[in-house]
Amino acid sequence: MAGVSDGDAAASDSSTADDAERTNATMRGSKVVVDDVGKVYESDRQRVEALSGVRFTVNDGEFVCLVGPSGCGKTTLFRTIAGLEAPTSGEIRLDGEPVTGPGTDRGMVFQEYGLFPWRTVRENVAFGLEEQGVRGTERTDRIDEMLQLVGLTDFADAYPKELSGGMKQRVGIARALAVDPEILLADEPFGSVDAQTRDMLHQELLRIWSETEKTVLFVTHDVEEAVKLSDRVVVMAADPGRVREVVTVDLDRPRDRTEPAFGEYVDRVRRLIGE
Amino acid sequence: MSLETGATSGTGTSEAARPDEESESVSTSSLADLDGTSFAYGAVGSLAFLALWQAAAMAVDRTYLLPSPVEVATAFVVELTAPTTFTVPFVGVAVPATRLTANLAQSLLHYLPGLVVGSVLGIALGVGMGWSGRLDDALTPVTRFLRPIPPLAWIVFAIVWIGIGHGGAAFIVGIGAFWINFYNAYAGVEGVETHLKEVAASLGVDDDLTMIRKVILPAATPSIATGIRTSIGQCWMIVVAAELFGAPGVGFQIINAAQNLATDVSVAYMAVISLVFLVSDGLFRRVERRGLAWRA
Repeated sequence: MAGVSDGDAAASDSSTADDAERTNATMRGSKVVVDDVGKVYESDRQRVEALSGVRFTVNDGEFVCLVGPSGCGKTTLFRTIAGLEAPTSGEIRLDGEPVTGPGTDRGMVFQEYGLFPWRTVRENVAFGLEEQGVRGTERTDRIDEMLQLVGLTDFADAYPKELSGGMKQRVGIARALAVDPEILLADEPFGSVDAQTRDMLHQELLRIWSETEKTVLFVTHDVEEAVKLSDRVVVMAADPGRVREVVTVDLDRPRDRTEPAFGEYVDRVRRLIGE
Repeated sequence: MSLETGATSGTGTSEAARPDEESESVSTSSLADLDGTSFAYGAVGSLAFLALWQAAAMAVDRTYLLPSPVEVATAFVVELTAPTTFTVPFVGVAVPATRLTANLAQSLLHYLPGLVVGSVLGIALGVGMGWSGRLDDALTPVTRFLRPIPPLAWIVFAIVWIGIGHGGAAFIVGIGAFWINFYNAYAGVEGVETHLKEVAASLGVDDDLTMIRKVILPAATPSIATGIRTSIGQCWMIVVAAELFGAPGVGFQIINAAQNLATDVSVAYMAVISLVFLVSDGLFRRVERRGLAWRA
């Protein structure tokens, strides 16, 4: 099938078999191909191999989580896919085109939100649309649609300082999705919010994901979060940063943490990480 | 700001936030900010100070050594009402004025152009060096070397280039405003979070000018505003010092009156400086609070 690449096959024995049984996402081929990516940081005194021979694919409409111990290079990989850093070797392709820099085809969401504090919620969501030259009622309608999607219609005119962490991140998601990117890239987006808010945001993100049919690549160090959210979990190992295994999570959504099967996936990923 | 206050209506949130935010962000340095109990204590303190001053002046009993508050107030009223004319520069038209307003107008001729030109140039260089690493590398040795020189030391060049009149005094004020604004703008631009630039790039900003206009400048605005507010105050100090060298104005009046042993007039003009500072600082704070309501 179209979604299977050499990266999948190399990374995991389990992912190919489970692809056919995917229920949630409609598979329309590879969205992102991470092809033998290496990243080396060199200074006068030392040479650090942050990533080595990283291969995997993210299929169209798929929700993929990237987990691993600290120092495994998951943030470096995220930044490379985002186009904020160039790989030392290998290539990242989005819809077959090599990634050479940041662009509106990849919407980014950060742990620190990265909202423009001088802009209201509405103006934050408008930012990318302004750059694309979307004007007038078309822009207003799009903003309203996004605010409705993340449930922030009533806070359209509030400044970021007036919002809680969870609300800030929903603005971040709305702003990223407003320009209709091919994929949503999120780097520990819920790392700064309390557990209860995080659970709520998980449900929201899954709802947004299924409503918009976007592809999502989500970096986290929280194994439970990864198992709860994703179709597949890319487990990374450190020194050098590499893919240890890709685990397909074959559970119906909504997923319940207390289910034995859920716990088994969590244990399996934890063992791979070495926790 | 808590969410609960605005949870019922979206537009209410920002409105409700403002009064709260204002009382937090306002410091006690401006007269206009006092209220209620603070005002009562302030009044008591001020009256005690005036009483002590009056008593000391009566004990000394030599106006030129220590003019009393009553004598200063009298001198202030005399200066404020004594008619004279003020010749508008460039235009050359003499308009009726009083001694105090004429002197203040002279000083404003040094203060305003110096402040505006110095601030604009300082902000421009600060933003440029904060943004461009290459420009920063090239000019840092120069700015580091020139920065410690007090603005007043440039009086030498003010005299030989321009002459010690309005232009020379404005030049000195401009140098003072330049450095204050340069460092604040530089720090503001340097301090812009990397995330904001990355988010902007992912949302389609792909050239330097757009990035500076839509991200760097707004993000650096609080720091730039602090620079402007600091220079609004500092430039009043500088204008007085510059005028001591002979440019007509409030500062010159302070030294001129003292040389005639009319220290009550000197103190009256010192009070003028204080009043115009409080007014200009208060006005700018007001503008700042309106314009930067988004600040956390």
